[in-house]
Amino acid sequence: MRRLLLALAPIPLAVTAAAEPVDFNRDIRPLLNKNCTICHGGVKQAGDVSFLYREEALGKGDSGKTVIVPGDPAASELIRRIKSDDPDEKMPPPEDHPHPLEPEQVALLERWITEGAKWGEHWSFQKPVEPPVPTLKNSAWPKADLDRHVLAKLEALDLAPSPEASVAEWLRRVSLDLTGLPPSLEEWQAFQQSAIVNPQSAMSEAADRLLASPQFGERWASMWLDLARYSDTFGFEKDPHRDIWPFRDWVIQAFNADMPFDTFTVKQLAGDLLENPEPGDLIASSFHRNTQNNTEGGTDDEEFRMAAVMDRVNTTWTAWNATTFGCIQCHSHPYDPYPHEDYYRFMAFFNNSEDVDLDSDFPRTKVADDPAAQAEAVRLEKEIRRLRDAINEEGKALAAVTGNWKTFTATTAKSSGPEGVLTPQSDGIIHASGTNPPNAVYTLAGPAMPFGALQLDILMQDDDPKTWSERGAVASKLEVDLVKPDGTRQKIAFKEVVADFLAGPFDPNDAIRDGAPGFGEYPMAQRPRRGWFVPEQAVAAGEGDQLEIRIHHGAVCNANNQSCVLTRFKVSLSDDPRLVQLVQAPERTALWQQHDVLNQQYNAIPGRTIPVMRERQPAATRDTRVFIRGNRMTRDALVKPGIPAITGGPQGDAPLNRLDMARWLVGDSNPLAARVMANRLWAELFGTGIVETQEDFGSSGLAPANQPLLDHLALRLQKHHQWRLKPFLRELVLSASYRQTSKAAPELVTRDPKNQLVARGPRQRLTAEMVRDQALRVSGLLSLKQHGPPVYPPQPEGIWRSVYNGETWKTSEGEDRYRRGVYTYSKRTSGFPGFLTFDMPTRDVCSPRRVATNTPLQALVTLNDPGHIEFAQAFAKRMSGATLEERLAHGYRLLTLQDAPAPVIATLSKLHADAKADYETAPAESAKLAPTPDEAALVLVANTLLNSDIALNR
Amino acid sequence: MNLFQQLHLDRARHQTRRHFLQNCSVGLGGLWLASQGHGSVLQKDPANPLLPDLSHFAPKAKRVIYLHMAGSPSQLELFDHKPELAKLDGKECPQEYLEGKQFAFIQGVPKMLGSQFPFHQAGQSGQWISDRLPHFETMIDEVCFIKSMWTDQFNHGPAQLLMHTGSALLGSPSAGAWATYGLGSENANLPGFIVLTSGGKNPDAGKSVWGSGYLPSVYQGVQCRSQGEPVLYLSNPDGVSQALRRRTLDALNDLNQRVATEVGDPETVTRIAQYEMAFRMQIHASDAFDLKQEPEAAHQMYGTNPGHESFANNCLLARRLVERGVRFIQLFDWGWDSHGTSAGDDLTNSFVHKCKQVDQPIAALLKDLKQRGLLDETLVIWSGEFGRTPMKENRGGVNGSFVGRDHSPSAYTLWMAGGGVKRGFTFGETDPIGYEAAVDKVSAHDFHATLMTLLGFDHKRLTYPYQGLEQRLSNVTKPSRVVKEVIA
Repeated sequence: MRRLLLALAPIPLAVTAAAEPVDFNRDIRPLLNKNCTICHGGVKQAGDVSFLYREEALGKGDSGKTVIVPGDPAASELIRRIKSDDPDEKMPPPEDHPHPLEPEQVALLERWITEGAKWGEHWSFQKPVEPPVPTLKNSAWPKADLDRHVLAKLEALDLAPSPEASVAEWLRRVSLDLTGLPPSLEEWQAFQQSAIVNPQSAMSEAADRLLASPQFGERWASMWLDLARYSDTFGFEKDPHRDIWPFRDWVIQAFNADMPFDTFTVKQLAGDLLENPEPGDLIASSFHRNTQNNTEGGTDDEEFRMAAVMDRVNTTWTAWNATTFGCIQCHSHPYDPYPHEDYYRFMAFFNNSEDVDLDSDFPRTKVADDPAAQAEAVRLEKEIRRLRDAINEEGKALAAVTGNWKTFTATTAKSSGPEGVLTPQSDGIIHASGTNPPNAVYTLAGPAMPFGALQLDILMQDDDPKTWSERGAVASKLEVDLVKPDGTRQKIAFKEVVADFLAGPFDPNDAIRDGAPGFGEYPMAQRPRRGWFVPEQAVAAGEGDQLEIRIHHGAVCNANNQSCVLTRFKVSLSDDPRLVQLVQAPERTALWQQHDVLNQQYNAIPGRTIPVMRERQPAATRDTRVFIRGNRMTRDALVKPGIPAITGGPQGDAPLNRLDMARWLVGDSNPLAARVMANRLWAELFGTGIVETQEDFGSSGLAPANQPLLDHLALRLQKHHQWRLKPFLRELVLSASYRQTSKAAPELVTRDPKNQLVARGPRQRLTAEMVRDQALRVSGLLSLKQHGPPVYPPQPEGIWRSVYNGETWKTSEGEDRYRRGVYTYSKRTSGFPGFLTFDMPTRDVCSPRRVATNTPLQALVTLNDPGHIEFAQAFAKRMSGATLEERLAHGYRLLTLQDAPAPVIATLSKLHADAKADYETAPAESAKLAPTPDEAALVLVANTLLNSDIALNR
Repeated sequence: MNLFQQLHLDRARHQTRRHFLQNCSVGLGGLWLASQGHGSVLQKDPANPLLPDLSHFAPKAKRVIYLHMAGSPSQLELFDHKPELAKLDGKECPQEYLEGKQFAFIQGVPKMLGSQFPFHQAGQSGQWISDRLPHFETMIDEVCFIKSMWTDQFNHGPAQLLMHTGSALLGSPSAGAWATYGLGSENANLPGFIVLTSGGKNPDAGKSVWGSGYLPSVYQGVQCRSQGEPVLYLSNPDGVSQALRRRTLDALNDLNQRVATEVGDPETVTRIAQYEMAFRMQIHASDAFDLKQEPEAAHQMYGTNPGHESFANNCLLARRLVERGVRFIQLFDWGWDSHGTSAGDDLTNSFVHKCKQVDQPIAALLKDLKQRGLLDETLVIWSGEFGRTPMKENRGGVNGSFVGRDHSPSAYTLWMAGGGVKRGFTFGETDPIGYEAAVDKVSAHDFHATLMTLLGFDHKRLTYPYQGLEQRLSNVTKPSRVVKEVIA
């Protein structure tokens, strides 16, 4: 009965020999993490005991007894409590922990304390140092230092490497690994010829050819797009289409151009903040606009803006640093030394972008149809923003010195909403209550006075900044009539609206034009706003004149459902003429004209727009506060952007922005990113990471199976190759380790099932994309067309059924039907069925690792999917030869590069003969697959070959 | 023999069938299970991860049929009788009900809205019910109502995720995934967790509500269809008979056996087993989904119409799947979001129609399970993702001409039947206007803890390590309790 709950014991790669001293990181920390730190760690410090830091563990708990006394296990309360038989004292408490510590584990703890209870910084927080080149018994095998580190581990465990793979095995493996496609027969034959002469140079040349192939970028983009949670839809309920594929193409091109990983990082995390961005840099910054956007009616835009911001934090830490940073959203990290506040300091880097979960996906940038026009589009975009800011700043500077403000006192105030109420208060502030629908019009009337500027203060419901997060308030149009005592009206014409700052999707001048929206905070209000409405001419007013002010509304938020009416506001007037003079000045008119011209030029560039990162102006910076227990509704202290000290972040008061953060991430002080990336690339080629938990390098993850190897590779990538992936991958695929055959004796498989020791060559199931792409290639159907909008290969009817979403799957025609998997439309709530079955993630969130499964549903896809039958039909046609046996052998070679063994030919011949005989008696059935029974039988053979284990693995 | 002993026996039987695994070390289960350094990861056989497994203690329910009314039906029009609310009908909503509340669509100050349908007490148990479910009413003595459900999510997508995965954000495994992870499947020839949808749409939160989250993907729900192929790609392609399929598999096995011997990769052995299982699934799933095999009386009873997608068909399929030992069957019926913006989503027209669509099939399902002696060990659950406001929705700040209610997270009704819950029982109460759960409140996490208990698990011990925590359905970061009061 108990067997069900047996913990899956890790394969003991590092056995602690009796003579070897206890190593805290290897032996003790995992024990503490598993059994103790949940209650005695970063989240809880039950009994005031914690095992996160040594000084705490050596201290006294609430009981007054010392937890650990170095050198004296008997005096250590830790040991006494673990060994206790009293259920009230025993640790861990038996009712919550059905599995007590094993006697060997207790003995290990005692030995550790006896040896002085030495602590150690978790390995991944220590910067990698180049390990010494190990001395080996077998000096002939290694071809590179990485092989020496692999072999050192094998020799220590009395294992030997496996023989070298055949050139065919190596070529198919390396072609699929580097380009995601198997080699063509022509490529194989050319390689085979040169390998006879000189296998070493033939392999080098083949690696160079594959690395230079345009298909290289497509294969590696698939890996990166999982991390980027790239998808062609928004996600959530309606899950509508999102045009963001230019980002996918940027990633492909970056891999093809071998853009160094540090540059690749900075452009994606902060391309929008670069002083002189290259044309593609804004597109690159869409990396963090791949977050989901909730357009479900009535969803709180701020809630899902925060969800996107937190996703950016978590994705950054998962993808670059393999750290479960999301843990500290609610509390300090349970196992690792990250305090709670670090989350919000880091979140501040992402909390100031313009996007706010709007249905429009604002802000967006232009991707020119003609790549040559991209630089001009980027230049104009920046210039338009700069000029618009300058125009507003000039007005704002003058508004700041405008004096003589008098509060407008409304004697009547009415809302057009039948159930809306406006209440003017003694301080001139007007309070709105009741039901004021989105298009409500507020009409205020009161004694007129002469004015040259009207100041509108849009106030928050409460004056305490900690509470500042409420529904937006936008004045869509403000109109003013001067009403003479005889009832005649003079409509005041406004020239401009100057704003306290420019932010959000609307221009303040919208508030004096027809049509929504206008001036104010939108969709969420996070601070009071002030705008100055400047008339074309100064307004004179006489005794008994009245002003009628009408504030129209029209903006709606929360996915177009909730009204953004003013709830507390104040109008003031000043007779200072300087703002009127400013807006009348010809110099200013010229600036506006220039602004218009730039906009016309920008709009004239043909293209499409995609969501992009854009930072809010300094004046519009959002406050970032610690959320108490991770709840955004309970906000605490203000924090500034900052990076955890433990990961080498710059400390001190110098202000940091997103660009500084990106540079730190791939800089020398961060101990994690190079290891994480080297480990990821290793895992792509070898199947399992050196750290198997690619997503977690913290102390809750698994320890590296071979840390010298990992550190060597990390430094090799970062330093020697200056973050260039191609030469790094070249070294890996030409290494003796990679060149081993994957054939293995059962004892070795049992001893090291995941092949973490690399005593044999890698053997991996093809990825979802590779299953498709290989079938396309061997069937001769593959289109190598690159880039562009996503495509729709055949999928069954009725798969897409998102609510309130009329989008349908329109099966692509022509070559788009046969494009590589990376171009297949990716819909978050309804992925391409064949890909999901083969473990492609939904791309809802960052997916750092695909774990390959092996299920009957996969068999149904490759056996029965009409798409795969189409591949088999084309594959069968390509099998050429004078006899059936020749055709079968040709097909086998197309797929595997190898000569088919006689028993395989016999099996396939028998299948063909049996099927042919069947089809001859059922010509109607036969005709559904191919024109003749002979050809139909060959389609079945092709389908069988494509389903074989040899085909589905590399 | 109790259910526990039965499970034990089933497991032993399955183990003897593992002839494909004779050369394969069972310890390789960790190959694809994302094994971690610590935690109680279940030991699973890679070739048969859905092998029946043992729970912590004797389960009350062996299987689950979960009927989710996507969009959330109004508790105030079906089960939660509130005479006080009727008295307030048409009056302005008092300010105290609005302060600190967030609504999806209600603006400003809405009007109160009394129930649109009369209530009465029914059955021996005398439980309250409106006149909208006359068929269901005949089975009311089998039913255990929880009237004090509450959630903190007021939008469909997040609320559905919370109800099915224990988290409002994407990425956690659904209850069905946990159940199949914990208990495996009793039928190796069918998926252990099957999802059927009706109403023309997928649930608002998409397929994530039956996803496997951080559990291995083999535990995700398999969406089956009552129209067309029941399982995607189940049918042989045009021109390939089952006999020919057998021949191709024989040839494929020959090829793969060679590779297995030569290369020594245990995954190859597993693959051979999976192709055989796929072959069996083709036969068994086609059979299970063939409603034409049912007698006319069954079609009369359920109101089914084979070949079309309908909730009634899905109910009858659910019974057929339960009979075949499928562990968790999840039905989603879309179209319950009665806002009252038009006749298409109001309480007077659309809601009445939806009630008619589900009333007879649900009653038939309960009756049929009972007649066949399956109800005792099958837990039937009915719920939406939240409740509806006691106020009339005034979308856009306008008192519209159609009658509907906005989303209300503070109170809703869930019922269960069979599978070890009390019969003819009501638990929990809302306040006098049905706005907030007031007595014996039950959260989604409490419901999940209770569900796992009924399935024979200590909900705190069926866990999986992810992001540094021993994750569980009842959500390790939120409070939860087993609602023992509803367990028989």
